[in-house]
Amino acid sequence: MAAKPTFSQEISNLLYASQGSPLKNCIQCGTCSGTCPVVNYMDQTPRRLIGMINANLKEDVLDCNTYWFCASCYHCTVRCPAKIDIAEAMYAVKRYSIWHKTYSEDLVGPTFSETFVKTIINNGRSFEPVLAPTYMFSMGIKEVLQEAYMGTQMMLKGRMPVLPTKIKRLDNFKKVIRRIIPMGGEK
Amino acid sequence: MTQTRLLIIDDDPDYVDGIKSILEKADYVVDAAYNPKDGFEALETGNYDLLLLDIMMGRGAEGVMVARKINKDPVLREMPVLIITGVREQIAFLFPGQAVHPGILPTDELLEKPVNPDLLIEKVEALLKEAKEKKAK
Repeated sequence: MAAKPTFSQEISNLLYASQGSPLKNCIQCGTCSGTCPVVNYMDQTPRRLIGMINANLKEDVLDCNTYWFCASCYHCTVRCPAKIDIAEAMYAVKRYSIWHKTYSEDLVGPTFSETFVKTIINNGRSFEPVLAPTYMFSMGIKEVLQEAYMGTQMMLKGRMPVLPTKIKRLDNFKKVIRRIIPMGGEK
Repeated sequence: MTQTRLLIIDDDPDYVDGIKSILEKADYVVDAAYNPKDGFEALETGNYDLLLLDIMMGRGAEGVMVARKINKDPVLREMPVLIITGVREQIAFLFPGQAVHPGILPTDELLEKPVNPDLLIEKVEALLKEAKEKKAK
């Protein structure tokens, strides 16, 4: 039977279980790192992250902030000469980190994703005033006030709803979600 | 008498090691597959008595897709399936206290991670017994 998978195989299982490991095709050209708009904020560049995954450096990969800083702009994916879906690989490492709970407590990413998904499930669309507090308190007082000012201005101009709005036929939407994922509620 | 053969489909190798050792101690022959694709291939060729299936694999809830495939197969759908999942912890869809309702297979039972070893053995035995009685009919 199948041998115990290595870390890079685990990540490739999370990526394309049906298509082998696309990360193995990486030629380390660095186009992804050169393209990335947030690379300045990452401790490891995307190219290095892929190299680290291929080298099975599990702890180093999970400790770095690269995949949490990925803005999912998909520019690397578009430009990759080896046709690796790098943004999707970042999502795979995020999934790994969330499912195995290896992220640090003060990280905004996981809570933000959770709140975002919950508001979508409940209302069918995102609602910023609920979403903002998940990351706002990790910022300085000046930034919080700035955010609050901006939010109020947007509400006054009618650019942001004061109360959460729901989509039409929300029940149908929830049925679609239930078809995909086993969530609570009736069968 | 031939030994009862079980298959685990789960993408977490450490977790597989854990339940594998529990079940092997209880005298079952246990095989493991670490992704849904290998798992389904093993199911088709392996002639197993029971499947232990994880839900959150691959790009999301790929365990559900495996279950649907099983449901479409007239032979495989008779096989008892024990779904072992940490879905409540792994996704944000469930709120505390809300029940998990996969309800995707006619023959399934659900256990939530982390699993109590005694409960695991108990459920496996119950499912196998039920399947045997069904066959005898």
